[in-house]
Amino acid sequence: MKNKTKQSNISRFFISPSRGDSPFKRMVIHLTLIVACVIAVYPVLRIISVSLRPGDRLLSTSLAIIPKDASLFSYYRIIFEKPFLLWLWNSLAITITTALIGLILASTSAYAFSRWKFPGRGPGLFFLLTTQMIPAAMLVVPIYILAVKFQLINSYRGLALAYSVSSVPFSIWILKGYYDTIPRELEEAAKIDGASQMGTFFRIILPLSTPALAIVFLFNFMMAWNDWIMARIMLQRENMFTWPLGIWTLAGQFRVEWGAFTAASILVAIPVMALFLYSSKWLISGLTLGSVKG
Amino acid sequence: MEALTAEVVVNTLKELGSMVLYIILGAVILEILVYLVLGKIFKSKYTLPYMLMIAAIFGISMLVIYPIGYEVRLAFTNMSLRHFRTYTLSWAQGLKNFGLIFSEPVLKQIRFFPLLFRTLLWTAVNVVFHLAGGLGLALLLNRQMRGRGIYRTLLVFPWAVPQIIAVLAWKGEFHYEYGFVNVMLKSIGMQPIQWMVSPFWNFAAACITNIWLGIPFMMVIILGGLQSVPLEFYDAAEIDGASRWQQFRNITLPLLKPVLTPAIVLGIIWTFNNFNVPYMINANELETTDILVTALFRAAFEYHRYGFSAAFAMVIFIVLFIIASVYIRTTHGLKGAYE
Amino acid sequence: MKKFLTVLLVLVMLVGIVSIASAEVNLILWTKEGEEALDWNKSLVEEFMKANPNITIELVKKTDVEVLREDFLTASLAGAAPDILWTVSDHAGPFVAADIVEAVDNLFDLNIYVDSAMDAVKLEGKYWGIPISNGNQLMLLYNKKLIAEAPKDTDELFAVGKKLTTGGNYALVWNQTEPFWLVPWLGGFKGKVFAEDGVTPTLNTPEMIATLKFLHDMKFDAKIVPLECDYDGADTLFKEGKAAMIINGDWSISGYVSALGDDLGVARIPKVSATGEWPKPYTSGVYFMFVKGISGDKLKAAQDFIAFVSSKEKQIEMVKLLNRLPAVKEALEDPLITEDPILKGSADQMVVGTPMPTVLEMRCNWDSMKPEMLAVLADTKSPEDAVKLMQSSAESCIKSLE
Repeated sequence: MKNKTKQSNISRFFISPSRGDSPFKRMVIHLTLIVACVIAVYPVLRIISVSLRPGDRLLSTSLAIIPKDASLFSYYRIIFEKPFLLWLWNSLAITITTALIGLILASTSAYAFSRWKFPGRGPGLFFLLTTQMIPAAMLVVPIYILAVKFQLINSYRGLALAYSVSSVPFSIWILKGYYDTIPRELEEAAKIDGASQMGTFFRIILPLSTPALAIVFLFNFMMAWNDWIMARIMLQRENMFTWPLGIWTLAGQFRVEWGAFTAASILVAIPVMALFLYSSKWLISGLTLGSVKG
Repeated sequence: MEALTAEVVVNTLKELGSMVLYIILGAVILEILVYLVLGKIFKSKYTLPYMLMIAAIFGISMLVIYPIGYEVRLAFTNMSLRHFRTYTLSWAQGLKNFGLIFSEPVLKQIRFFPLLFRTLLWTAVNVVFHLAGGLGLALLLNRQMRGRGIYRTLLVFPWAVPQIIAVLAWKGEFHYEYGFVNVMLKSIGMQPIQWMVSPFWNFAAACITNIWLGIPFMMVIILGGLQSVPLEFYDAAEIDGASRWQQFRNITLPLLKPVLTPAIVLGIIWTFNNFNVPYMINANELETTDILVTALFRAAFEYHRYGFSAAFAMVIFIVLFIIASVYIRTTHGLKGAYE
Repeated sequence: MKKFLTVLLVLVMLVGIVSIASAEVNLILWTKEGEEALDWNKSLVEEFMKANPNITIELVKKTDVEVLREDFLTASLAGAAPDILWTVSDHAGPFVAADIVEAVDNLFDLNIYVDSAMDAVKLEGKYWGIPISNGNQLMLLYNKKLIAEAPKDTDELFAVGKKLTTGGNYALVWNQTEPFWLVPWLGGFKGKVFAEDGVTPTLNTPEMIATLKFLHDMKFDAKIVPLECDYDGADTLFKEGKAAMIINGDWSISGYVSALGDDLGVARIPKVSATGEWPKPYTSGVYFMFVKGISGDKLKAAQDFIAFVSSKEKQIEMVKLLNRLPAVKEALEDPLITEDPILKGSADQMVVGTPMPTVLEMRCNWDSMKPEMLAVLADTKSPEDAVKLMQSSAESCIKSLE
């Protein structure tokens, strides 16, 4: 019932038709958008083209998108001569664990913030917001020391724990906002029918929140997947590197291995971008949660 | 070479699996404790919410509160290379550290206020361009047209590419000989720019990269907000004779505010604290491209001034906190979030 | 009963003795090497472990020297340090200041090593590392196809260079972003970065101004080098045959041997015509360092491993594989070195080099020289202004080390 009303609300807010735009104006708009798209996409095309360059000509001034005698040499190298697959596996294992734990912690805590006015709620919310302002560089050394004490360095656990917790504040804000839009009458009704408070949580609130939960999972995933600075501190052995660290060793400092770097970048970026673009509808609605007054 | 083998996969699963079990166990124990203490002893009616939050509270205490506490303590020491194992911890040393931040160069040449100014400049330039670009593109896209979906998908590319890849790739493209920026400049007859050596151009390179990265986020948010403005408002305004510009000012902008304000606040915070872009684009470690957070990182890890950098970190946090609070207060933007 | 107890006691003792004798020792070795040198690291470790089955050495590769330094300090801070390091000499400065490495005076017979190699790790009257290779110096490498003989002095360099620099080809390339490439010339102009006490920076000197001016003129007047050139750029141009000469270090020799084969020549960096002095590149090398607190079985195992690497046989192997000069005196006299033109050239350059200062303050000098050198080479600052800033940066940096 609730979902249906939401949908028809959204369809009311339809995109404004281009009311009486002259053909000239339309052409200008299209042209501007095309230029903007080229600017947005060109650097990515460059990464692809450098990754296809034959091994002995990585540094060159050619701007061709598909180079002469393009070769997959760099891709071969990155998969078989570097521990690239290992990096991906490390990232994947850590990230999925992180997203799950973060989601569980945030979904329960956000429910508390949404439905009760317990002592410390206001300051708590405010505190969660301010945690976003803390520069990561500030926390890095103490977290490292803490991790060493608990023997969490160079392990999947350490980084997964660090990531899970750092994404919780942001997730709580988003989920709370979403829960707030679910009217309490639903829970009241269920309680009258004999359900417990937690029962309503699991059977009513959570199912209704699947879009928001999916968004939070996605955000947590992306944040952990793309992080460099925390991984740099917690992982010091190459066999534990996540892919950002791996890529950084290829292109970070003095000797830049352009072929390996770009090939690895493409292999990582394609699934990420596909996932991102596919779920971008969700992301838009997720970011405007609570502001769509329906 | 370390490779991905079945053994590694099994180890990973074992390690993570056991960790999840421990976490569940720990959470259950914590919840039982809360239940007993709050529920049975204090008979509080808030037992359930605290039970729900206790695991998150515990995690955040360990990962946020303890480190902050450690850093605060560190700010009152003189821990550095020469004072590594044994260092002095005192109020006087703390005051000295805070004094040093403002009186002496933070790194080699750069002092605090120029650094602050540059960080503010960096934030302002980026956020303004993000907004302008995002708003412009969103307005263009907010209409029925052919190819709308394709445009939107392509324009989101910079946001979709993982940030570290984009930053390192852009760094390569600013290379004097082989990067496409200079190659293009040369091909239209202009002089190639020394992006990595000139203080001005290196800062510009960092801005260009970050602007490229940040416009899609704003565009998507604004587009979402635009699409929630009911058409009736525009129709009514047009009947009343309002021009497009008046419609924009009096309908669009105010209705976009609940969406824009959190986006701008986030944008300011994220840009102010952006580490990856200024750090990585700065191939030659020019101090003139550093902003507060990259200078902080360097003071701690390259100069090993641990006590000093802890004090520095606190100052940075306070500055950002003040800026964000002032912005939020003056725009009353977060009303509704606390309800 | 008594008999039973005695037998039990003897058994326990036997087990104890056996387990002590074949006690498992686990060493963690951090190395800064990559590519071919890393392969050599791995083969050394494997060979040693085969000969000593009760010792396991875990080789951890650190991406580069900066990462090794940062990670070692953070690890020591948290009590998670490794056992031995394979790293560069100037790490001694920060590590000694932080008191996280051991002095090696009493741990090894240091007489077998070349004096200049030992000098590079001498601090506060003690030695802090065991040399593995000696040199690490910059030298002039040239492509015989493009230039038959290396120029003897800078006037010749400019004259010949002007003819060679046309149409995208350059006479000379070098890494214009690192002050490591500036100091040889500073030596050639009779300058030094430290005063006699070895810790006071002397950067705003006429010698430094002359050096900066020289490098500026090489680019803007004689025009024999590219307008902007980093390590990768120089390396690629030389390998592709677009640069006749390159100034690079001994670590790069094997790469150029594969690329140019017999066309590769090695010579001293040309004499500075204005002063008549040979440029003095910094010499140091690669060293073992002991992490503070190492003792007992681990120490013994580490000493055995180092003795193994310092054997004449392994040193000669290193020369063959990596084209680096050995640190062991005995190996230096081997005909393999004295008769190979490339190694001979490298040794020739090393002789006029000067040991790299390893004090903690040196880092301040490096950091201060770099941006100013970049500015002068970008023609955005005059040498006179640059040296003033160099000196003030170095002084404020040293002050902050307190």
